[in-house]
Amino acid sequence: MSGLAHGEIALERATRSFRLVHERPRTLKELVVSLGRRPASEVCALRDFDLHVAPGEAVGMVGRNGAGKTSLLRCLAGIVPLDSGRAECGGRVAALLELGAGFGQDFTGRENIWLNGALHGLSHADVEERIDRIVEFSELGEFINVPVKAYSSGMYLRLGFAIAAHLDADVLLIDEILAVGDESFQRKCLNRISEQMEQGATLVLVSHDPSAIERICDRVVVVDGGRKEFDGPVAEGLLHYHRMLGTERGASVSLRPAADRAVTIAELEVKDADGRARHMFRPGEPMRVELALAGRAERAVAALEVRYQSGEAIFRTDATLGAVQGRLTASFEIPRLALLGGDYDLVAGALDQDAPPGPMLDRVARFSVTQVSDGEGVVDLRGSWTVEHAHSEHEALR
Amino acid sequence: MTRPVRHRFLFEQMVRRELRQKYKGSALGVAWYLINPLVLMGAYALVFKVLLDVANIPDYPVFLLAGLIVWVFFAQALLAAAPSLVLNAPLVRKVRFPRETIPASVATVQLITFVAMLLLLLPVALVVRDSLDPALLLLPVIVTFLFCLVLGLSMLVAVLHAHFRDVEPVLAAGLLPWFFLTPLFLPVDEFPGIDDHELIGDLLEWGNPVAPFVDSVRTILWAGEAPDAAHLAYVAAAGLIALALGAVVFRRMERDLAVML
Repeated sequence: MSGLAHGEIALERATRSFRLVHERPRTLKELVVSLGRRPASEVCALRDFDLHVAPGEAVGMVGRNGAGKTSLLRCLAGIVPLDSGRAECGGRVAALLELGAGFGQDFTGRENIWLNGALHGLSHADVEERIDRIVEFSELGEFINVPVKAYSSGMYLRLGFAIAAHLDADVLLIDEILAVGDESFQRKCLNRISEQMEQGATLVLVSHDPSAIERICDRVVVVDGGRKEFDGPVAEGLLHYHRMLGTERGASVSLRPAADRAVTIAELEVKDADGRARHMFRPGEPMRVELALAGRAERAVAALEVRYQSGEAIFRTDATLGAVQGRLTASFEIPRLALLGGDYDLVAGALDQDAPPGPMLDRVARFSVTQVSDGEGVVDLRGSWTVEHAHSEHEALR
Repeated sequence: MTRPVRHRFLFEQMVRRELRQKYKGSALGVAWYLINPLVLMGAYALVFKVLLDVANIPDYPVFLLAGLIVWVFFAQALLAAAPSLVLNAPLVRKVRFPRETIPASVATVQLITFVAMLLLLLPVALVVRDSLDPALLLLPVIVTFLFCLVLGLSMLVAVLHAHFRDVEPVLAAGLLPWFFLTPLFLPVDEFPGIDDHELIGDLLEWGNPVAPFVDSVRTILWAGEAPDAAHLAYVAAAGLIALALGAVVFRRMERDLAVML
């Protein structure tokens, strides 16, 4: 029905609002009582949302709780209709919003595979063809023939994911469900997702776990207040997200997982002249940035970037630190902080000069500079005013 | 009607789940649902035949049971269907699938129970009457239209209850007087006071959509005769109208189900 290629996703000016739950008439009596009153207040879950995802792309969706991420997935999956605009996916869609939704409690694991497969649109033959692989993937062993009400929550989710992972959809919409099970099963899930993507599946992943997004996604969309705030490369997107969250000042936050890279920034701290961790500075004060690199590299390069609250990088420096064997600490001294009032992100990254270049931002720490009365803007140019009083000339002009 | 066909496998699975949930953990399982009309029959026979002595009807237990199983099917299906969408809220909120399969599977499970009772009653009726009448061929037709009526109303009450949570209690309260106004223990024209109240008689017979179904099934099973044309027409019309109404209202009101449940 749509002109979309298999695996393509298109959202155009998608808008959806919800009435606040507690104001919605729930019984006939309430409905009668509320007649004639002004309509209940509405929350906009999606506002003029545009998004295009090409087949085979993997998009990570981040945002605060209630930002509209899940609403977006539910609209894409066709579970919740839009008020206006368009939301479509090409081909078969698997929306994994909750693992095990609709399991029959008195059904065995095996019976639930049939039921859940049917709910997700598989035919009898489809389930028959997949059931052995699903049972094997779930690692439930004999428990597959036990009613699921006897399952632990971990087993329940294993079965749910095993089914979901074998739907062979063109579009995978996944909401926060990877944060389940033990780590080895989690890895198995991620591998299975990667496998499906190699076969051309498109992925939209909602997660609060930056490392999961970093591992699978090649694009990040930041959602806030039902709008798209950012759409672009992963490291930039996660940075934007952390800035939006108002990441705890002083403490640094990891933007990337340490896995599969030779050298990373393990620690990043902003300190004052006495070596105490601080996050508030006055313009002109001394500042010391301490960082620790971890990993193994012949020629490690560290980079520091200072970004203003609007996101622009206003300063960047890098240095070749030499060989790293396990751990290396370095610091960057700023004798007089040449910044004016506002919030700043200090972003650090590290890489091995001999390794292929890639995104290198690792960690972000946040600090603030207090407002002063004699300067506005970002940079303190450290100028001073001089006034020369020329009384005599004025007098002469008169 | 393409959707039910396309989703037959899903529907089958949903009916299985519903059946399992209904009979879980009860030692007697299905038997409970057969006992219910038998108990009602016993009480009715005691009151109307023995104590009040107003029922001068031969084979009274068969007469009673033939009507009671229709009523029990109708009432149980509606009572079970009304909260069905709300009970399946997690599913509706998180998975995309045709939602009418939920009330439809509930109604179907009740249909299965009804047919089981019918099959138990049939040989009894045949033995009691000692004749095999061609009218029996009409029984599947009546049952089909009865299912249409029940299915349509099940979808209607389920989607209404999802929007207004007092539909189920209102329905439960309404079914009791409805039960007493349905001519189950006597045919309408044998009520002692009916000759003075013709209008009420007509209302009882035709104003209550369940009554013609009760009457038709009873005519076939107990009397061994075919229902008259008026009954057949009524039954067909009531079944199809209810089904169409249920489907249309469901389609209109299911839009926001995922949000409101």
